[in-house]
Amino acid sequence: MPAAALLAARRRFAWWLMAPALAMFAANAVFPLLYALDVSVRNYQLLIPVPARFVGLANYAQIFSDPLFWSSVKVTLWFIAGVVFLELPAALGLALLFASLPRRAGVAVTVLLVPTILAPSVVGFQWAQIYNYQFGPLNYLLGLAGLGHPVWTASPTLALPSLIAIDFWEWTPFMVLLLFAGLSAVPRDIIEAARVDGSSYPQIFRRIMLPLMRPVIGIALVLRVLMSFKTFDIIYILTAGGPGAVTENLAYYTYIQGFRYFNLGYASALAVIQLIVVAALANALLRLARRPGLVGTA
Amino acid sequence: MISSFGAILLRGVRAASVMVILFLFLCPVLWMLITAIKPPGQWLNSPPVFWPSHIYLANFREALVRWSGFKGLLDSLAVASGATALSLLVGVFAAYSLGRFRTGGENLSFAILGVLFMPPVAVAVPMYLFWRTFGLLDSFTALILQYTVFNVPFISWVLKGFFEDIDLSLEESALVNGATRWQAFLHIAVPLALPAIVAVALLSFIFSWNEFFFAVILTRARVTTLPVILPTLMEGHDIRWGSIAAIATIAAVPVIALAFALQRYLVRGLSFGVLR
Repeated sequence: MPAAALLAARRRFAWWLMAPALAMFAANAVFPLLYALDVSVRNYQLLIPVPARFVGLANYAQIFSDPLFWSSVKVTLWFIAGVVFLELPAALGLALLFASLPRRAGVAVTVLLVPTILAPSVVGFQWAQIYNYQFGPLNYLLGLAGLGHPVWTASPTLALPSLIAIDFWEWTPFMVLLLFAGLSAVPRDIIEAARVDGSSYPQIFRRIMLPLMRPVIGIALVLRVLMSFKTFDIIYILTAGGPGAVTENLAYYTYIQGFRYFNLGYASALAVIQLIVVAALANALLRLARRPGLVGTA
Repeated sequence: MISSFGAILLRGVRAASVMVILFLFLCPVLWMLITAIKPPGQWLNSPPVFWPSHIYLANFREALVRWSGFKGLLDSLAVASGATALSLLVGVFAAYSLGRFRTGGENLSFAILGVLFMPPVAVAVPMYLFWRTFGLLDSFTALILQYTVFNVPFISWVLKGFFEDIDLSLEESALVNGATRWQAFLHIAVPLALPAIVAVALLSFIFSWNEFFFAVILTRARVTTLPVILPTLMEGHDIRWGSIAAIATIAAVPVIALAFALQRYLVRGLSFGVLR
């Protein structure tokens, strides 16, 4: 066969393999996105039997003057702040600690990972028990220490921190896993050489380990921020967005607009805004991942 | 290296702190396990009962029979295995195509990653109307296909990297010796990537087994997976904490077992193939 025909055959083969996945994306990703885009410029309310009118950007305009939208953005940002300021430092510390174990560090990390891989509704149940106002083990221990009986998820001030604490518990192990992998890829002989030259541990950490781990840290952060936009289940199970709207994040607010009030146009506009943000973040992740030399454990 | 008393002490302190941290992280899980074997009357006490007076396994019977946990278990199994099988079929093809031929270039890869991170709530309204149009709300078909949509990008991204790692020359020499591209793919590349394929299949199974959001939106009474049963039991006054804990335990155990079986692939799988 001539070279051109071979190339064409190769390309045909490649696209045939791709075809089922592409068909699926067309039906279940491209269609819903286009549909959401279309509905987002209409006044589409499922409960009102009036044909959906084209309203242009009215839904979007309404979003930006909607105090509940801004409050849900704030809640979403609080979850992200938890990722950046609590999860990351804790995970870095834990990854260093686990990596210093002489043996079985991998097993220890897998045990730590149990909260991450559990079903979110199982997690919700476990924390409903822990946070139980009257009979929960947490309030019992606090009572012993004379620290009072907070109502946790029912308290306007503590509800959001309580959920962020669960998020921390659920996802810090995930970050430890990634950072631990990044740490294992730091060449031992470089560290050994620095130690022989008389560098202290903090120096080695700051000058050698941290710079070498920077790409992995970046990826772990972007992944977690991307995931935090999806936070829904623990809110649904433990607070239903309340009390008031203090634990309503963007995802939960969109759900309420769409499936509680059936304001499909408005909910779709909210969805489109989230998609734009997530697409930008996914783009950043792709650029981080493309950097050369990004290899962790085998 | 000098192994002094101080170094040994430091090592002991590190090991001990790891144990304490693991214990703290596992506390909520342990509390669930303990509740699952507590007899009624010891679920809600002040002070709480830290260890039951006797082990009460009837919680599991109540969970499986009275709270339709058995149906939930079967439905979860059906949905998770169906979604895993279908995703694997579609995803392995796509992964090989992306990894070997760079089909669609950077743009397609990026689009697939985008689908992977699409917040479910963002496509919930259109997908709800989509399945409603076909009369498929509250059906296995809809839930399996919906999970497949999120599993395929996962499988293709992670496996793409594994296919890239396989030595190209093996397939090339097969082609030179007269094998078709299909044969090179099925008889050389797939067997070499088999451990990784099994790993991503099991991770897809875990995702589908755990999934909550679409299960809440797309199903009512005909299809009830375990994660959806749980919160419905936590409403009302006479909450049967022991049997709820039993259902939660049934939902948790397979996933924990799989995670340990998959240890070697967790980093690559859970980082969506971004970290190797």
